[in-house]
Amino acid sequence: MDNTQQPPAQPPANPQQPPAGGGRGAAPQGQPPGGGRGGAPQAPPVDPKYNWPSTPRTVVGTRVKRLDGPDKVTGRAKYTFDITRPGMLYGRAVRSPYPRARVVSIDFSAAERVPGFKSSLIIRDPKDPKTNVVLFQGDEIAAVAADTEEHAIDAARAVKVEYEPLPAVISVESALAGRAPEGVFPNGNVRQGQVAQNGDLEAGFKAAAHTLEQTYSTHVITHACMEAHGTVCEWEGDKLTAWVSTQGVNSARDNFANGLGIPQTNVRVICQYMGGGFGSKLQLGPEGLICARLAKQAGVPVKLTLDRKEEHLVTGNRPSAAAKIKAGVSADGVITAFDAESWGTGGAGSAAGFPLPYIYLPANRRRTHKDVFINTGLQRPMRAPGHPQGSFITEIMMDELADLVKMDPIEFRLKNLPPEAPNAMWRSYLREGAEAFGWSKRHPTGDPAPGSIKTGMGVAICTWGGGGRGPSIAHCEIASDGSVIVRVGTQDIGTGQRTVVAMVAAEALGLQTSQVTPEIGDTQYGVSGGSGGSTTAASTTPGIRIAALKALEALKEKVAPALGVTADALVAAGGRIQVKDTPSKSLSWAEACKRIGPQPITAQGDWAPGMTSATTSGVQFAEAKVDIKTGIVRVTRVLAIQDCGLVLNQLTAESQVYGGVIGSLNFALYEDRILDRRTGQMVNPNLEWYLLAGMSDIPQIDVRLKNMPERGVVGLGEPPTVPTAAAIALAVRNAIGATVRSLPLTPAKIFESLQQKA
Amino acid sequence: MPKRKDEPGFSRRSFLKTVGASGVAAGVLGKTPGADAQTVNAVGPDAVRMTLNVNGKSLVLQLEPRVTLLDALRNRTDLTGNKRGCDRGACGACTMIVDGRTVYACSTLAIEVQGKKIRSVDGLASANGQLHPVQQAFCDKDALMCGFCTPGFIMASVGLLEKHPNATPDQIKKGLDGNICRCGTFNRIFEAVSSVKGVRRG
Repeated sequence: MDNTQQPPAQPPANPQQPPAGGGRGAAPQGQPPGGGRGGAPQAPPVDPKYNWPSTPRTVVGTRVKRLDGPDKVTGRAKYTFDITRPGMLYGRAVRSPYPRARVVSIDFSAAERVPGFKSSLIIRDPKDPKTNVVLFQGDEIAAVAADTEEHAIDAARAVKVEYEPLPAVISVESALAGRAPEGVFPNGNVRQGQVAQNGDLEAGFKAAAHTLEQTYSTHVITHACMEAHGTVCEWEGDKLTAWVSTQGVNSARDNFANGLGIPQTNVRVICQYMGGGFGSKLQLGPEGLICARLAKQAGVPVKLTLDRKEEHLVTGNRPSAAAKIKAGVSADGVITAFDAESWGTGGAGSAAGFPLPYIYLPANRRRTHKDVFINTGLQRPMRAPGHPQGSFITEIMMDELADLVKMDPIEFRLKNLPPEAPNAMWRSYLREGAEAFGWSKRHPTGDPAPGSIKTGMGVAICTWGGGGRGPSIAHCEIASDGSVIVRVGTQDIGTGQRTVVAMVAAEALGLQTSQVTPEIGDTQYGVSGGSGGSTTAASTTPGIRIAALKALEALKEKVAPALGVTADALVAAGGRIQVKDTPSKSLSWAEACKRIGPQPITAQGDWAPGMTSATTSGVQFAEAKVDIKTGIVRVTRVLAIQDCGLVLNQLTAESQVYGGVIGSLNFALYEDRILDRRTGQMVNPNLEWYLLAGMSDIPQIDVRLKNMPERGVVGLGEPPTVPTAAAIALAVRNAIGATVRSLPLTPAKIFESLQQKA
Repeated sequence: MPKRKDEPGFSRRSFLKTVGASGVAAGVLGKTPGADAQTVNAVGPDAVRMTLNVNGKSLVLQLEPRVTLLDALRNRTDLTGNKRGCDRGACGACTMIVDGRTVYACSTLAIEVQGKKIRSVDGLASANGQLHPVQQAFCDKDALMCGFCTPGFIMASVGLLEKHPNATPDQIKKGLDGNICRCGTFNRIFEAVSSVKGVRRG
C-alpha cells in the first residue's frame, strides 16, 4: 500500500479493507510490511524447537498434487454456487441503471404478482435522504426472493423504481479539469494527497545531463472471478449458517455479525471451494447481508448469486493510475531527479493509491498524488494492489531514460537499483535472466528486420510484502487408529492451501501428505486471517507445524515406555516412531497410535514470529511480436524468476507464477472496463467484450522459483502478477521503436504511437 | 432499467438482456401448451414435462421452456459439476457434450436437447470412481487452481480428443479457445491435454 492511500472520504456502502501486504518501498511509514494485524499484541517468538527443519525435508518443498484435484475434476467439489438447501429460495437484487440518481419511489406490486414471488426488501428507502441516492451503476436499491431463479429474475425486473437522475462524474479527465458536476462527493471530486519529498530536487535536475517529461497511465480492470460473488443463508432461530464465496470465512463472519447486529458466535460461515477472488472477496459485499436479510424474512434458506454483469459493476475493480513525470538522468546513467504528479480513481469515494517510483528510489524525488472520485463501483484490492500500476509507470520511464543515455535497460537498472539483500535479489535475477533469456540477442529500440512483424524484448521487476501474522489457530488431532486431522479456519482460494495444510502436518509427523486430512473453510475450525496480501501460507503454516509437533510430543510420551526410552529419544520419520539413531527400535505409525487410547490426542498452535519473514523480489522477461500492419501484439515467451522464501509445494507454487503472469498479460493487452462517456454505464459488462486471454494467446512461460528456506515462509500469490505488463509493454516498445505509454496495448494505441514516431 | 417485456411466449432471458427483443426468442419457441395467458404480468409459459438423457440416465423434469440445459441440471438436479460463469456462451465453464458435440449448456435450452445424449462432467469418471484419462491428467499436471472453469475445460478437452485422439498443438489450442480460466492455468491445461493419448469416443 502506498502512503498516499487514505480512508475513503465518504464511507462506501461496503467498507473497504486496505490491501494487506504491500511491498518494499511501498509500505506505509513506520509499519513493517507483513506486520501484525491491526492492534493485535505481538506474539512472542517461536520456540526454536518448532522451527522449520533444516534439510532434508521429506514433504515440504516437494511436488505434491492437490488433494482436492479429484473432487474438482469430477465436479464433486461443491462451490457456493452449487449449494442447495431444503426449501431454498433464490434472491435477486434490483440495481440502479444510472451512475447517480435519487430513488423517488419503489413499487413492488407487479413483482408481488409474479409467480413464485415470496418476499421483498427495500435497501434504499426513498424517504430516507441519507440513503436514497445511488452513486454508481449497479448500486443496490431493493431485493426480492422467489421460488426459482427464473422467477426471482422476473420479480426483480417487475419491481418498478422511479428515479430522478442526477448529474454524475463520469470521467477522470473532466473531474481533474474542473468540468465535472460538483456537489457529488462530500469533499469534492478530487482529493489532494500529501506531498512526499526526499533529497534536493533542484540540485538533482541541475546534475542531469538529460531530462524526460512524459505522462503514463493504466486503466481500470475488474476482478472478473469465474465464480461471481454469492451467498446461501440459512437461519435456525437467531443463528445463521452462511455458505459464502469468500477469501476470508472469519472476516465474513465478522461482517455478518456487524451488519446484522447479532453475536459473532451466532454466525457460522462455510467456504469449502471458491471460484476465484483476487482480492474482491476479502470482505462480504452488500449482497451477503441482503441474502441473510431475505432469508430471515422469508423464514427459509435463500441463495443469492450475482450474474456476470453485476460482478463487473459492483464487486470491485483495480483503480486506474496515471502520472505526469519529469525525470533527470546523469550522463553515466544515474537518475538524479524524479518529480511526479499522480492521480487515479477507485470509483465513488474510494482511494487509488499506488507506489511511485516503484522500487528504484532516486535520492532526489517528489511525488504528489490526487484521488479522483467518479460515479462507478468502488475499487477493492486486486492482486498486488497498486504494484502493477506503479511498475508499469516506472518501468516504461526507465527504458525511456536508458535510451537517453544509450544504455542497455539491464545495465541502466543495475545502476539505479537498491543494494542486493535477501529480499531484494533483483541484481542477481537480472543477470541470471539475461543469460537464460538470450538478452544478448536483443536489438536496440526498434526492430530493424524487414517486413511487418517486429520482435522485441523487455524486462521489469517486482516486490511484495507477504509475510505471516496471527492469530491463526491450528488444531491437530491424532486418533488411536492412526488417522490425523488438522483443522484451520483458513480457506483455499485456488492456491492449493488445503494441500499445504496437510503437507506441513505430514512433514512434522513423518507421514505422507495423504495420511493427513485437512479441514478448512469453516469458522468452526477457529480464527485465521483472510487470504489477502499473499499472507495465507505464512500465517497458517507455523501454527500447523506447532500443533502437529505438540501432538507428536504427546504421542511420543505414550509410545516411549514400549520402546524402553524417554520421549525425547524418539523421532517420527518415514511413517514410524523410532529411537533416534537406532531405526531398528521403532513402531509403525499405526502401532504407535494404538497406545493413544479412546481419547484422541489434540494440540493447538498459533502463528509466532520466527518461522516467516516478509518481502519478496522477482524479475520477468518478455518477448513479443508485433504486426505493425494490424497492431496486434503476440507475446511469445516469458521468463519469471521469483522468490517466496521457503517453497512449500513446488507444483502449486509454480502454478501461482503461471497465473500471475497470465493475469498481467490480460492487464497489458486485453481487459478494460469501458464506460460510456455520456451515460457512465459500463459498455462491456460480460466476458465477450471484456476481453480475456484464451489458450491461443498464451506464451511459453518458464518459471524459476528461488527457494530460500532460511527465510521461512513469505508468500507468493501476488508478486508474479506485478511486472509482466511492463515487461510486455517494453518488449513492444523494443519491437516497434515507439512507446505506448498507457495500458492496455490496443492496436489503436500501437498505430498512434507509430504515427507519432513517424 | 430496461423495460420489461410482458408478452407471454418469450423465452431465454439472455436474449432479452442482449438483444432486447423478445420477438427473437418467441420466434424460436412459439407458444407452449400450458401457458397461462391470464396470469397478470405473466412472464412465460408454465413448466412442462421434459425428459433428458443425462450421463446415461433418464431424468424427468418439470421445467419452463425457457430453462437452459445448464440451469435444468444445476438447479433441478444434483448435477452441479458444470458451472455458470458468464451465462452467455463466452467463458465455457458450462461446456457439455450433446450427441458427440461440445455445447455451451448455458446457451442451450433444455427443451431442445430432449432425446439427445447429454454428457456432463458429473458422469465422466467411471462408476467405480476411476477418473477419465483427461481428468487424471488435469490432476497430475496441476492443470487447475480454483477449479471453477475446470469442468468446462475437461469437457471441451474430452470433446476435442474424441474427435482428434492425436490432436496437434494447434488443434488443442483452437479446440480450447472457447474456454476462459481466470486463475491463468492455461500452460498446464495445454500440458495435461497434450499428455493424454488414445481417448475413445464416449
